Amino acid sequence: MKKRTMVQCVKQLICIGMVILVLLPILLTLFAAFKTKGDMVKTSPLLLPPFDRITFANFEKVLKDKYLLVGFKNTGIILVVSIFFNVIFGTITAFIIERFQFRFKKVIVSLFFAGMLIPTFVTEIARFKIINGLMLYNSLGAPIIIYVASDLMQLYIYRQFISTLPVSLDESALLDGCDYFSLFVRIIFPLLAPATATVIIIKAINIINDMYVPYLYMPKNSLRTLTTFLMNFANAQQGSWQKLAAGIIIIMLPTIIIYVFFQRYILAGVAAGAVKE
Amino acid sequence: MSSLAKKRQQFIIISLIIPTLLLIGFVVFPAIDLVRMSFTNWDGYSESSDFIGFGNYFSMFQNKDLWQSLKNNAVYFFIHLCMIPVELGFAVLLVSKLKGAKFYKTMVFMPYIINGVAIAYAFSYFFSPINGAFDAILELLHLGMLKQNWLSDPKIVNFVLAFVSLWRFSGYHIVLFMAALQSLPQDVQEAARVDGANAWQMFRYIQIPAIMLMVDFILFDNIRGALQVFDIPFVITGGGPGYASSTFTLYTIKTAFTFSNFGLASTMAVAIMVMIVLIYLVQNKLIHGIVLKGEKD
Repeated sequence: MKKRTMVQCVKQLICIGMVILVLLPILLTLFAAFKTKGDMVKTSPLLLPPFDRITFANFEKVLKDKYLLVGFKNTGIILVVSIFFNVIFGTITAFIIERFQFRFKKVIVSLFFAGMLIPTFVTEIARFKIINGLMLYNSLGAPIIIYVASDLMQLYIYRQFISTLPVSLDESALLDGCDYFSLFVRIIFPLLAPATATVIIIKAINIINDMYVPYLYMPKNSLRTLTTFLMNFANAQQGSWQKLAAGIIIIMLPTIIIYVFFQRYILAGVAAGAVKE
Repeated sequence: MSSLAKKRQQFIIISLIIPTLLLIGFVVFPAIDLVRMSFTNWDGYSESSDFIGFGNYFSMFQNKDLWQSLKNNAVYFFIHLCMIPVELGFAVLLVSKLKGAKFYKTMVFMPYIINGVAIAYAFSYFFSPINGAFDAILELLHLGMLKQNWLSDPKIVNFVLAFVSLWRFSGYHIVLFMAALQSLPQDVQEAARVDGANAWQMFRYIQIPAIMLMVDFILFDNIRGALQVFDIPFVITGGGPGYASSTFTLYTIKTAFTFSNFGLASTMAVAIMVMIVLIYLVQNKLIHGIVLKGEKD
């Protein structure tokens, strides 16, 4: 019995160490965000400033930046439109690949598989020309079309989910006179709701956090997203860590909030994406 | 019946046409176009470009900065590789009987979902040379003599950046391992316990075989991830000082969008693609074979 409590204690200690390691960089950034310029030098980076000197001026500065709102708006638009199409195309593609045999199926499946294997960042070198040619450079259309076309993880989640739905469901619906479209819209799509919840949340986090696509395709000020807002803000604050710290904390918040509330879906989807084949 | 078959075909074509065209237009075609561009000297804006044969390939292999960058990728790969057993250990710990396991799981995965750019800036602050938090921690532990220029010393900068990468991605691996461990049917574990298997035997003969496929996936993910490290060095050091913390992807992107040498950059992009496909094939044949054999033991 004693040995068992010892083991439990050691386990707890290891885990608490891990939690400290995870929280430390975030916590210290938060401390910095509450400091005045003077306190950045006077108080240790490991401590909050004395209580009466805690300042909210840094947060105010970030929140008053007009481009923060622009960033929220643009990220929101990109998010809603991309995810909408991702869900529509993802569900129907997964449904057809899982349930139908047809000519060229192998070709199409291997195309989608190749799409997952093609490296992300460097493809922009060739994609850049296409986006330019379609006059999408410096428009919200660029990230939207890239996210819809190239981010394919939803296929794994949907395929896995559809394979658990009984085929007899389709058959009886078809026998009852349902055509294929209403079979999909009325029966399959609603049943996929739990998988769709996972897809929406994981995609939302990926899109909010993506840096490179908005950075490359939307240099215009009015097209900043949350992430590129932070990059611009950081460049403007050269050296005043306390202000940048406030910016960091504010940009971290949206995904942390989503995570706290929808953790269950995220963890389910992450594992599903990995266990393929 | 034939009208049903026709309707079926219609349904399939109408449904698949847009996603397939998008995939071809924005993923498959660019990948093929990279190969074509790798034989040209296109600068990114001119109307035309010349075919220069294997010229870009020769200059790529002779480019010292690129080799330096690839070496830096290797640092990320090995550090992540060394951590896999530790991550597995954590996963075993978190699925075992443990008070607060749920809370710990939440915490361990959190870095993975936080904005990567924000993380990168937070760590720039953490390791900053003036009033940096990490130096303050060292002093607190009376290790002040270990203070370094964490982000500007070419000898250590890659290890510091790889540490940031670990901080961000380890939780992802731990959660994947946990999922694999939890997919193991409880009755098998119960039966083994009844038969008197101890913790080590449980781990070696029951849990390890169950997670081999996940190890397989994480290895591939590690190689692919290490080859494509981009945003952490891009935001924290910009690849500097010089090219000391550049990576293959970062260097490729710079070659295209900073130095306007799209031809050479395409060649490098092709090299990354070839590496990923080769690794995938080797892994599928070799490691997969070993893994599955290990499972039969």
